[in-house]
Amino acid sequence: MGFGDLKSAAGLRVLNDFLADKSYIEGYVPSQADIAVFEAIAGPPPADLFHALRWYNHIKSYEKQKASLPGVKKALGKYGPADVEDTTGAATDSKDDDDIDLFGSDDEEESEEAKKLREERLAQYESKKSKKPAVVAKSSILLDVKPWDDETDMAKLEECVRSIQADGLVWGSSKLVPVGYGIKKLQIQCVVEDDKVGTDMLEERITAFEDYVQSMDVAAFNKI
Amino acid sequence: GAEELQLLERLLGLPGGNKYGVQGERKVPVLQSNSGPGLTGLMTIAAHLVRQARREQLLGSTAEEKAVVQQWLEYRVTRVNGGSSKEDTRTVLKDLNIYLEDKVYLAGNTFTLADILMYYGLHHIMVDLTVQEKEKYLNVSRWFNHIQHYPGVRQHLSNVVFIKNRLYTNAH
Repeated sequence: MGFGDLKSAAGLRVLNDFLADKSYIEGYVPSQADIAVFEAIAGPPPADLFHALRWYNHIKSYEKQKASLPGVKKALGKYGPADVEDTTGAATDSKDDDDIDLFGSDDEEESEEAKKLREERLAQYESKKSKKPAVVAKSSILLDVKPWDDETDMAKLEECVRSIQADGLVWGSSKLVPVGYGIKKLQIQCVVEDDKVGTDMLEERITAFEDYVQSMDVAAFNKI
Repeated sequence: GAEELQLLERLLGLPGGNKYGVQGERKVPVLQSNSGPGLTGLMTIAAHLVRQARREQLLGSTAEEKAVVQQWLEYRVTRVNGGSSKEDTRTVLKDLNIYLEDKVYLAGNTFTLADILMYYGLHHIMVDLTVQEKEKYLNVSRWFNHIQHYPGVRQHLSNVVFIKNRLYTNAH
C-alpha cells in the first residue's frame, strides 16, 4: 500500500489515480486518513492531476475540524492502492503531528541523513517503477480442462497442467467436477499477470497434452 | 415524486404523516394540508420539509451556496424526469461529469438537498448503466457512490455497484 513518495510527481500521480473514483482516502467521510495524506503533500497538486486537486481542496475546507475527524492516523504506507509498493521510510512520515501547521514546510526539520535516505529510496522506487508498471494488472482465471473419456487418468492430467510454468503464472486450487457418463473435468484456478500470460497461451500449452486433454475452456475470468 | 418526498422525510427524521397527492399529467407532487390549498412542486415541498426539520444548512450556507443548491434543484425538476429520452439522459450525465470533476458535492464542499434530490432522481438511471458507462462518467459515479453511502440517504433503494478496479480506462 502507500502512494510512493508523495513529494514527487510520481507519488502524486498514484494518488490522483487512486482518487479518481473516491471522495476520500478511506471510506465515505473525511477522516484522519485524509489528514495524514494531506499533510504529506507539499502543496496543492498541479491542475492536470485534477482528482487529487479536487480532493485536496475539499480536505482543505475541513482544516479547522481536522483534529476532530474520525479515525486514527496511520503511517502513509497503510493507505492507498493495494498493489503499490510501500516505499515510505522513517525519513518522511513518522511525525506525531497534530501540532504541526497544515501548511508548514518540514524541510528545515529533515536532517541530512534522513534526506539522503529519502533520495536513495526515491531513486530505488523510480528504478523499480520504470521496470514494471506501478499497478500490475492481474486476473484470476478458472479453467475447465476436459479429458477424452472416463478412463483418462485425471491425476496425471492435473500433473501435466500444473507442470506448465511461466513467468507471471501461479497455479491455485483445483477440483474434479463430474460432467456426466462418469467423466470428470478438472477445474483449476490460476492467477496471471495480464501482461505476461494470456488465455491463448494457456490453452495452447494445456491442449498440447493430447493424450490426456481433449479441450480447455475458460470457466471464469475475474480481474483482481 | 411523492415517494421521493417520503424518503426525504425519513432522511430528515421528520415524524411523517404528511399526505401527498399528484397533480396533472406531469404527476407534480402536492403536499396536502388540512388548513388550505397545500403546497405544489417537488422543489418547493422538499425545501419546506428541510426547514420543518430545522436542517436549513442543507439548503446552503452562503448566498452563493444557496444559489447553487437552487440551481441543481431546478435542474432536477426540469432535466431529470422519469420521461427523459436516452439522449437527454446522456446529456445530463455528460454535464454532471464535467461539473463534478473538481467537486465532492454538488454545492462544492458541503452535502446539501441538491445532492439528495439529484441522487433520488438519478437512481433509476444509474441502476441501468453498464460498467463501461459508469467508467465513462467517472466523476458522476464517484459522486453517486459517495452519496448512496451517506447515512440515511439510500434507505430501501438498491445499492448501485461500482467496481473497484477500473477496466477500461488508463487515461484521464
